[in-house]
Amino acid sequence: MFNKKLMTIPGIKKLIIKISILAVIQAFSIIAEAWFLSSALVNAWMLKKVTASIYPMLFFFIAFIIRYLITRIENQITDNFSDKASNDFKKALLEKTFELGPQSVAKLGSGQLITIALEGIDQIKNYLNLIILKTLNLAIIPWIILVAVFFVNALSGLVLLLVFPIIIYFMIILGIAARKKSDQQYLNFSKMSNNFINTLRGLKTLKLFGLSKIYGKNIFRVSENYRKSTLEVLKIALLSTFTLDFMTTISIAIVAVILGVRLINGSVLLFPALFALITAPDYFLPLRDYGNDYHATLDGKNALDHLISILDTPSPKAQKELKQFKTWNQKSTLKADHLSFQYDKDSDKGIKDVSFNFTGHLKVGIVGQSGSGKSTMLNLLGGWLQPEDKTNFKINGEKTDSLAQFAWQKHLSYIPQNPYLFSGTIAENIAFYAPNANTDDIKKAAQSAGLEEFINSLKDGMNTIIGRGGRGVSGGQAQRIALARVLLDQREIILLDEPTAHLDIETEYELKQTMLPIFKDHLVIFATHRLHWMNEMDYILVMENGKLVEQGNPKKLLKQSGKYRQLVDEIRGEDNNA
Amino acid sequence: MRNFFNKDTWIKPYLKKDKKLLFTAFGLGIVTIICSIGLMFVAGYLISRSATRPYNILIVYIPVILAQAFGTGRPVFQYLEQLTSHNWVLGVVSKLRQRLYMTLEKGADFVGERFKLGNLLGVLSDDLEHLEDLYLKTIFPIITSYITGIIIIILLGIVSIPYALFMFVCFAVILLVMPIISVIIFGKAKKYEKNLVANNYQNLTDATLGVTDWMISGRKKDFIGEGTKNDKKLAQSRNKVDHFEWNRDFALRSMIGVIIVGSIIWGNIYLNDSQSISNYIAAFVLGVFPLLDTFIPVSQAMENWPIYKESVNRLNNLSNTLDKEEIDNTENNFDPNKINSISMNDVSFKYDDDNSAILNNISLNVKQGQKLAIIGPSGVGKTTLLQLLLGSINPTKGEVKINNVKVTDLQNNRSNIFSVLDQQPFLFDTTIINNVMIGNEQATFAEAKQALSEVGLADYIETLPKKYDTDIDESGIKLSGGQRQRLAIARILLQDNPIVLLDEPTVGLDPITENNLINTLNQVLKNKTIIWVTHHLQGLSTMDEVIFLQKGTIQMDGSPSELYKNNEKYRKLYQMDQGIEN
Repeated sequence: MFNKKLMTIPGIKKLIIKISILAVIQAFSIIAEAWFLSSALVNAWMLKKVTASIYPMLFFFIAFIIRYLITRIENQITDNFSDKASNDFKKALLEKTFELGPQSVAKLGSGQLITIALEGIDQIKNYLNLIILKTLNLAIIPWIILVAVFFVNALSGLVLLLVFPIIIYFMIILGIAARKKSDQQYLNFSKMSNNFINTLRGLKTLKLFGLSKIYGKNIFRVSENYRKSTLEVLKIALLSTFTLDFMTTISIAIVAVILGVRLINGSVLLFPALFALITAPDYFLPLRDYGNDYHATLDGKNALDHLISILDTPSPKAQKELKQFKTWNQKSTLKADHLSFQYDKDSDKGIKDVSFNFTGHLKVGIVGQSGSGKSTMLNLLGGWLQPEDKTNFKINGEKTDSLAQFAWQKHLSYIPQNPYLFSGTIAENIAFYAPNANTDDIKKAAQSAGLEEFINSLKDGMNTIIGRGGRGVSGGQAQRIALARVLLDQREIILLDEPTAHLDIETEYELKQTMLPIFKDHLVIFATHRLHWMNEMDYILVMENGKLVEQGNPKKLLKQSGKYRQLVDEIRGEDNNA
Repeated sequence: MRNFFNKDTWIKPYLKKDKKLLFTAFGLGIVTIICSIGLMFVAGYLISRSATRPYNILIVYIPVILAQAFGTGRPVFQYLEQLTSHNWVLGVVSKLRQRLYMTLEKGADFVGERFKLGNLLGVLSDDLEHLEDLYLKTIFPIITSYITGIIIIILLGIVSIPYALFMFVCFAVILLVMPIISVIIFGKAKKYEKNLVANNYQNLTDATLGVTDWMISGRKKDFIGEGTKNDKKLAQSRNKVDHFEWNRDFALRSMIGVIIVGSIIWGNIYLNDSQSISNYIAAFVLGVFPLLDTFIPVSQAMENWPIYKESVNRLNNLSNTLDKEEIDNTENNFDPNKINSISMNDVSFKYDDDNSAILNNISLNVKQGQKLAIIGPSGVGKTTLLQLLLGSINPTKGEVKINNVKVTDLQNNRSNIFSVLDQQPFLFDTTIINNVMIGNEQATFAEAKQALSEVGLADYIETLPKKYDTDIDESGIKLSGGQRQRLAIARILLQDNPIVLLDEPTVGLDPITENNLINTLNQVLKNKTIIWVTHHLQGLSTMDEVIFLQKGTIQMDGSPSELYKNNEKYRKLYQMDQGIEN
């Protein structure tokens, strides 16, 4: 359960030294504690007066206090370290998320990223808290105690020493079998739990089919089966704890009996016997501690592995940065040569050798069936994917290998099907690209995006909180807010991914009236299935299976009976006879 | 606290179930603790007695046997205790799971909308796990520690009243005072942290889902700032709790140190009469040590109570709300084959916590076999309208009737009257054929296959290695959105009900897939009554009537061809939808 990558965390070596020193002191205080307690008990046993034991008792108490004071100090030092480490991990994770961008985030799963950033980081912290302390305690404390026991009573020392490898041996034998099983059961549990949640999600469907009541019995049955299988597994899984406990207690019992016999023989005195007996449980304690938190540390270790694998994911980044590109105007040009991207080495999903040339305030439509590569194109143009090496871009004649660079992205705005609204006020959302914008400009942008009526209808106007936990915003209004973002920061290039397809037809109609005038002085790159949008474009790229199969002006293309014509007919379907 | 337990229906009743097993678990737990104390006690006595050098080893025969017995007993009983307690708790959790299911079943139609909690189900499922922990990690250790504590005090009382009193005071601090302080401090901190955690979740969601905008905004610093905004406050609060915990554990352990010293002094004074009595001093003193492992964790066991309490509260609230929902379904003898019409008569609907009605005075009448489309922007109440038709919610005003019977009185027959096709059909994590058979469990395999071929899926399924027995979510096979809808349609075909409600089944599909799907729907549902909620005009020409909903009322109404002829707005929309230049 120790992870090699642990050693790369800054500050860990210092921590190890500190904890090691403390562990040594703790081991000695354990010895002192047993020593003075034994002498106090011997005094009492010899029927001496209580006053004879005042010093032993006092020293015992001091040693006892020191011992647990050290535990307390160790906790704090370790916690400080893991606090800092987990904070750093979180920052690194966020930084990485920012660099990875939407594509990689989607691939990792946004839910999973959030889980890692919240629960995962906590688990890592817990893991760091446990692993270093427990490992070092196990590595140091028993052995110092053992040496002391040897000095005082060699036979007891021998018993303790011999039991240790036996425990380890049994733990390994049983542990491997049991852990496999208990990990399996852990999986079973997630499966059953998912199944349960899944059935709850399907409740509505079950009810519609009149099956919901019958399924209740099913839930109970599945759960009971899980209980039975869990118990079967526990019978074995708990054996490793059992062995550990059994060997510990039984060896204490053995030590006691051996000592008893030797005391009767007179070959040992009471003091060393008591000392050995008192230290025996402490000798085993670090081992028991180490074994106990297996699952807690396992979760943390897995979370750490996962986090590190995320941090190691390469992010899209241009090798050659644009130096001259300042703004997109009527004369600007974007030339792409052999633009290629593959999602997987093994599948041909992606796009291949796409070349095109855009000049000035052009409206470009990217069309094609689903899965033809429209979104990939858009993601490459947004710089959220890193194209293959053979790709060449030229912007105003300046060469670059990838658009994954801020010099390009700061001119972009992106309007997807569902623009993301941050939790915050409408004004904050509009000013997202330009957080320092003044209220008048924000108002103006909102007005041009057709938001005035909506905002006026709200009690708090522009200061209404939207996004998660805020007021609900309809799909059409969300699109308008995204439009206002574009207008406020005067970004010259707009990427759109099917922004109106999911809206109802009336909203779509109204939104279109707002969008068209805005498009006029922008470079617009628009992936769509909607026929009316295609008609508005100056230039069309027709994608098919990742290849660019036709490009040109839509009106001209429509007259040729090529791929574009074919696609339009298919989209319109047989339904044009109203 | 008392109030809480009086109202509770999720913990209390279950503590009375399977009492024998429960008490066995408690008993085993107590015996385990007694064994570990006994081992040290006997061992201490054994060596003290041996040190007096009895002439014969048989004198210490009984302590020797006892030491071995306690030494073996402790791990054995602990092992049995854990098995028994898990057995009991998992049994209770099975019942709780079923109960949660049955509770949610009552509100299945609207729980999603009502509680406005996307991950409510995940939360509830976690709540059950919390209850499991509540039993295993809190209730069991606390009860066994308390009972053992009482037993010890009683036994000590027999030996020496002053010593028993001394121990009683110490135990009270360890088992009562500290745990209560812990609960208070943890409860406060959890309450404070709850908002911060929720806020953190919010910020991280904004960070990951909005990452595109963050990236092109170039605001990296703000991005990281947002994601770690509450971390400092959270860390401070957690640190405070941690410090308390460390100090508490230190104090509790020092308390054990005090008990040990107290025991020595007591032994020195009271067990000082003769050698044979003083042999017990080491026994009593060493017997204190196991308390470190058994009594100190009680405070820890109490710490999570605030979390458990929240879970239990949530479950109690849920069952309180939903148990009232049971609608009395009077009509049972209704023949779904004799439906003439379904009608809404001046119906209005308002959600309890909303100011204004979402639907206002809607009237419509759909005859058997008619096809009606309802169009309108999102949030206009289209889904509410469907729920009113289904009878899963009651109109605030007006009536929804099938023939002349109120639809809310027909809930027992509902699954024979209505079929529903949702935006995203829910498919169960089982085989394709099982998913179809949910439509009608009495159907034959041939009928199910027939349904799949009617919806145009059979050819595809035949190409799969396991054909109809392929699991829906099997790796390597991923049904597309269109295919999932087709599967759901096959299910409805098997169900074979007279009225079909379509709730935007083509949303999110590309237009070509959509066209094909609509064609299939038109073919296979030819003879059914169809009420179709949609957001654009694709496929509307086959409908008998189209209604445009706007602001809770009907704005346009007519057959598609009538509307195209007479209504300019409709014409404009239609032309745009079809990409026709005017």
